[in-house]
Amino acid sequence: MASKFDLTPRIAPNLDRHLVFPLLEFLQERGLYPEEDILKAKIELLNHTNMVDYAMDIHKSLYRSDDVPQDMIDRRAEVVGRLKVLEDGAAPLIGFLQNPQAVQELRADKQYNLQMLNERYQIGPEQIDALYDYAKFQFECGNYSGAADYLHQYRALCTNNDKSLSALWGKLAAEVLMQNWDIALEELNHLKEIIDSKNFSSPLNQVQNRIWLMHWSLFIFFNHDNGRTQIIDLFNQDKYLSAIQTNAPHLLRYLATAFIVNKRRRPQFKEFIKVIQPEQYSHDDPITEFLACIYVNYDFDGAQKKMRECEEAILNDPFLGKRIEEGNFTTVPLRDEFLENARLFIFETYCRIHQRIDMGVLAEKLNLNYEEAERWIVNLIRTSKLEARIDSKLGTIIMEPNDTNVYEQLINHTTALSNRTYKIVHQLLENAPAQTAR
Amino acid sequence: MASRFWTQGDSDTEEEESDYDEQEDDAPVETATATAASRYYSGNASDSDDSDGQKRVVRRVKDKRFDELSATVDQMKNAMKINDWVSLQESFEKINKQLGKVMRVTESDKPPNLYIKALVMLEDFLNQALANKEAKKKMSSSNAKALNSMKQKLKKNNKLYEDMINQCREKPELFEEKVEEEQESEDDVTDDNVTDDDVSDDLDAEETDDEEETGNDAEAGSGWEKMLSKKDKMMDKQFKDPSQITWDTVNKKFKEIVAARGKKGTGRMELVEQLTFLTRVAKTPAQKLEIFFSVVSAQFDVNPSLSGHMPINVWKQCVQNMLAILDVLTQYPNIVVDDMVEPDENETQKGADFNGTIRIWGNLVAFLEKVDVEYFKSLQVIDPHTREYVERLKDEPMFLVLAQNVQEYLEKVGDHKGASKVALKRVELVYYKPQEVYDAMRKLAEQDNGESESGEEKVVNEIRGPTAFVATPELVPRKPTFPENSRALMDILVSLIYKYGDERTKARAMLCDIYHHAIFDEFSTSRDLLLMSHLQDNVQHMDISTQILFNRAMSQLGLCSFRASLVPEAHGCLSELYSAGRVKELLAQGVSQSRYHEKTPEQERLERRRQMPYHMHINLELLESVHLICAMLLEVPNMAANVHDAKRKVISKNFRRLLEMSERQTFTGPPENVRDHVMAATRALRQGDFDKAFAVIKSLDVWKLLRNKDSVLEMLKAKIKEEALRTYLFTYSLAYDSLSLDHLSKMFDLSDAQTRSIVSKMMINEELHASWDQPTGCIVFRDVEHTRLQALAFHLTEKLSVLAETNERAIEARFGGGGLEGLPLRRKDGQDYAGAAASGGGGGGWWQEFSFNQNRQGSSGGRGGYTISGRASAPGLVSSGYSRDGQARSGGYGSGRAYHTGSGARGGQSDGSTRMVNLNRGVRT
Repeated sequence: MASKFDLTPRIAPNLDRHLVFPLLEFLQERGLYPEEDILKAKIELLNHTNMVDYAMDIHKSLYRSDDVPQDMIDRRAEVVGRLKVLEDGAAPLIGFLQNPQAVQELRADKQYNLQMLNERYQIGPEQIDALYDYAKFQFECGNYSGAADYLHQYRALCTNNDKSLSALWGKLAAEVLMQNWDIALEELNHLKEIIDSKNFSSPLNQVQNRIWLMHWSLFIFFNHDNGRTQIIDLFNQDKYLSAIQTNAPHLLRYLATAFIVNKRRRPQFKEFIKVIQPEQYSHDDPITEFLACIYVNYDFDGAQKKMRECEEAILNDPFLGKRIEEGNFTTVPLRDEFLENARLFIFETYCRIHQRIDMGVLAEKLNLNYEEAERWIVNLIRTSKLEARIDSKLGTIIMEPNDTNVYEQLINHTTALSNRTYKIVHQLLENAPAQTAR
Repeated sequence: MASRFWTQGDSDTEEEESDYDEQEDDAPVETATATAASRYYSGNASDSDDSDGQKRVVRRVKDKRFDELSATVDQMKNAMKINDWVSLQESFEKINKQLGKVMRVTESDKPPNLYIKALVMLEDFLNQALANKEAKKKMSSSNAKALNSMKQKLKKNNKLYEDMINQCREKPELFEEKVEEEQESEDDVTDDNVTDDDVSDDLDAEETDDEEETGNDAEAGSGWEKMLSKKDKMMDKQFKDPSQITWDTVNKKFKEIVAARGKKGTGRMELVEQLTFLTRVAKTPAQKLEIFFSVVSAQFDVNPSLSGHMPINVWKQCVQNMLAILDVLTQYPNIVVDDMVEPDENETQKGADFNGTIRIWGNLVAFLEKVDVEYFKSLQVIDPHTREYVERLKDEPMFLVLAQNVQEYLEKVGDHKGASKVALKRVELVYYKPQEVYDAMRKLAEQDNGESESGEEKVVNEIRGPTAFVATPELVPRKPTFPENSRALMDILVSLIYKYGDERTKARAMLCDIYHHAIFDEFSTSRDLLLMSHLQDNVQHMDISTQILFNRAMSQLGLCSFRASLVPEAHGCLSELYSAGRVKELLAQGVSQSRYHEKTPEQERLERRRQMPYHMHINLELLESVHLICAMLLEVPNMAANVHDAKRKVISKNFRRLLEMSERQTFTGPPENVRDHVMAATRALRQGDFDKAFAVIKSLDVWKLLRNKDSVLEMLKAKIKEEALRTYLFTYSLAYDSLSLDHLSKMFDLSDAQTRSIVSKMMINEELHASWDQPTGCIVFRDVEHTRLQALAFHLTEKLSVLAETNERAIEARFGGGGLEGLPLRRKDGQDYAGAAASGGGGGGWWQEFSFNQNRQGSSGGRGGYTISGRASAPGLVSSGYSRDGQARSGGYGSGRAYHTGSGARGGQSDGSTRMVNLNRGVRT
């Protein structure tokens, strides 16, 4: 079953309704589930939003008829009516904001702005709140760009911390849905700061917020250029990692993938391996299992098998399996990168514990043919990533032993000592006068 | 010798006989304890002949007894004639003794007619004598005394045979009406009152003695009044007429009785009875409730000593009373139970139709807890190998029903805190039960209810008898409802507690939860709970019983991880328990004698009070074997790896000590106990003989205690093979230049893949200086052994770094610049959390949050969490190790090097050091 590795059911509860759409779209495209089910799920999703027109369209395509249930029509009327009301409520402020001259009067000082608005335009807290409601409604209707603008302006004016936070979430969602990754990333960092610094009523809430944040951030990180480094920075933070461990172990897949793809984070990688180990029981994921095979059990054949599962999982994952169209080809860049790196991982570890390796076996392990394997290894040797030689007559690779010299080790042990001693003396001298003076 | 009365009665006797038969069922049957009888009998030979005649069929012994009886009756008659009360009294006692014999012989519950007749006569004569005041004055003092005591004894004795006497009298119709009336009314009440108390008789007897004395001291005339004042009866009199009872009278009486409580000479049981009686005559539900509360607390008083337990029947009644209280409370939801406010004096006067809230003093939770404590104590005291113990265990569902009802009531009222406490009590009865035991309990509860249904109804009817003014139907269910699965029950209760409970309740519930998960082989859940709750750090500050619970949970967790083949974890959990050699004490499963340390009697008593009842014990032998086997599996390869400096890296000190001891023996006999077995296995394992090692271990008979014995043994075998392989490689790698994989696999009966995996792991961890030669499938060893000089040089550098470290510590201690600067990031984060959680003030979620860093530590610090967790402190032995953290935190954030343990060193306690070592390792790498 291809859907075995599908995480959508576990991710979706942590996302906004609107954010689930891209996931469903992806699933529809992959054809993992019957189309009908997905369409039904979409309608279910839309029932609680205000995107009634869209829901009607889907309904039509699902049942292949032009009839639309009465309640949808009713709901449409209701939505339109409500939109009108909210629009009226927020009208004064929107009018003000659309006037460039008036906007120039605003200053950085929030209090001043509020006072100014109140005195000169008779815009009080009610109107400002109305703006928030209006923005929210816009968002519900699928007008993300409008919602994002309003929310931004609302945040500039509002004084209520909680609402400001919700507005920020709304803004983030809107930006993500509009695929403005740069702005979204900014908002994300902003939100993260607030979450980390804010005093939550209960620590549990804070954890929940972090988990939401991480889920939402997946959209950004796997689309942003620099995302794969940043996902490590975010997820691997202590607080976030523990949140993952407790409440959302499925997120480990993304972190693991990022680690595999990203070569620059080796030190943290070691730590991460230790995290994976005890968490294996709570989830079942080919990518983390792959890592466990290599680094915990040293089971290279198993790793081989897992690699194939990984490929499948990546292709079916909405975040990892992103496609890029190049002319007539569609490629999944992440998959290629992943496979390349995974191969390297296997090879690296394999080499560490071997003295002599048969090329044929190696080629097989790397899922390459003999020639390719040879070329690949020569490349590695050339770029001095690997200290080895090829014995082409026997068809083997011979590793160079890389033990450090005993004397070198001894020197390493002792160099730190002098430094420490120096520091002690320094500290002693620094403190001594203070002591005597007293 | 014809009787004046009985001459014409011959024909009647037949009828009487049949009447007696009918009555037999109703008549009180406590004849064995009867203390008085009559010697006032003017009956005659013909009469006794009569009764003899009726029972001609009877054997000879019986005849003899009857003869004796009639002889005594004759004596009594003689004494009566001369008005000699002293001899009359003697004969009376004699006839009672004889009565016992006769009844034993006839094997009937019914006293013979002869006896009844004697009683009647005696009574009449007594009344006569009393009525004749002049004659009384003439009597000698000894005679008067005898008369007085006779009067009381007879009264008491006759009460037992009331019905028969009446019948006997009615037939001859020679007696006045008024006496009978009085007796009848008395009779009614006694029947009701003495429901099922066997103890009451003893007490009554005691009481009679007391009163006898007073009666004797006082003048004979006033003695009559005194006698009636025997409280029971007076009360009966007072409340004889239902129409006359008012709230006031009941209240007055109630106050009176309560005031007598605790006074010298007040029988505790009697108090209970009187109060129980009052509950039935109470006028308003509130009053009834108030009295019920007093009944329950009076019942708690029945057993005065701390170490003994409440009599079981009293306990059962107490539970019934509590249920009755709940009945009332559910019926009248406007009654509020509270122990905070002093209720109005006449609060209880408000009747059933009163609509406002009525406040009654009382504390259901405290009562329930007390009931639980009594149950627990009784199990502690009763010898676990007797039937009594099993019977007692069967009472558990009864308590669970009560707890369930109380909890439901409290939840309904909105007292969630109380409810959580009650829930904890329920949790504590369930958590240690594996599913099979739980099922058995469930079945028992269901069966019990089926049986007792009818019995209960009877009881109810009795309660509803004419005297109960405030009838309360049974509103609360008397039947416990258990979910199918004990886990489900635990989940419900535990989540309630986490939501509402206070710190201690939560901690205990958490421990029970951990224990329960561990029993059900859910190691990971159980471990996460432990790590997340931070209990390991806080348990030192808790009360001893919680510490014991913690120890129990830890050992169960250890067993669970062993079953899940997680040897290092199991060892981590159990090693601390065994480090001091006081396992019994730590688990409260018996008292361990210490050679060096005498306990004061006070300590011993305390310890005894903490003991776990037998059915909750964790099998110590199993625990010990698991611990030692884990230690063996870890220590043997470790010793092989560090042959040269064996002292340096010790995993299990306890194991090392035992090993040394066994090696010192000149001759090693066949293994007897657990230790011997493991030591024998160790010897085999060190030589790489895994087969023998496994065989020895397998021969332990504790394995039959495990549910999945086969799979555990299978796992054990695999582990032993693996460790044997590792040991072999450590020991003999020097002797080889290369080793083939095939050979190794064959040698240790492992698959190629397993062997490869094990060896690879050793290579990666640099335990083994070797590498694979893939084409030939060989391990090629590299010669990296240091020469002697090099090794010494390494030693030197290590010593130097220790020196440097010591210097740093010294300076830190002097200037206090300890500093957390160089700590791994995670540590600091952890403290942030701790701080946040602490300031958050134990909000609902702190269990989860508080612990994240711990969780991480546990997982990333190479299972550091476990080594820490081992710090189960001994009850009564609170180590100061913990204070270190606080110091480190407050120790300033100045300059200085990384070793935060520096400042900690002041607290230097061996048991805390595990943690420091871990952190240090983190710093260095």
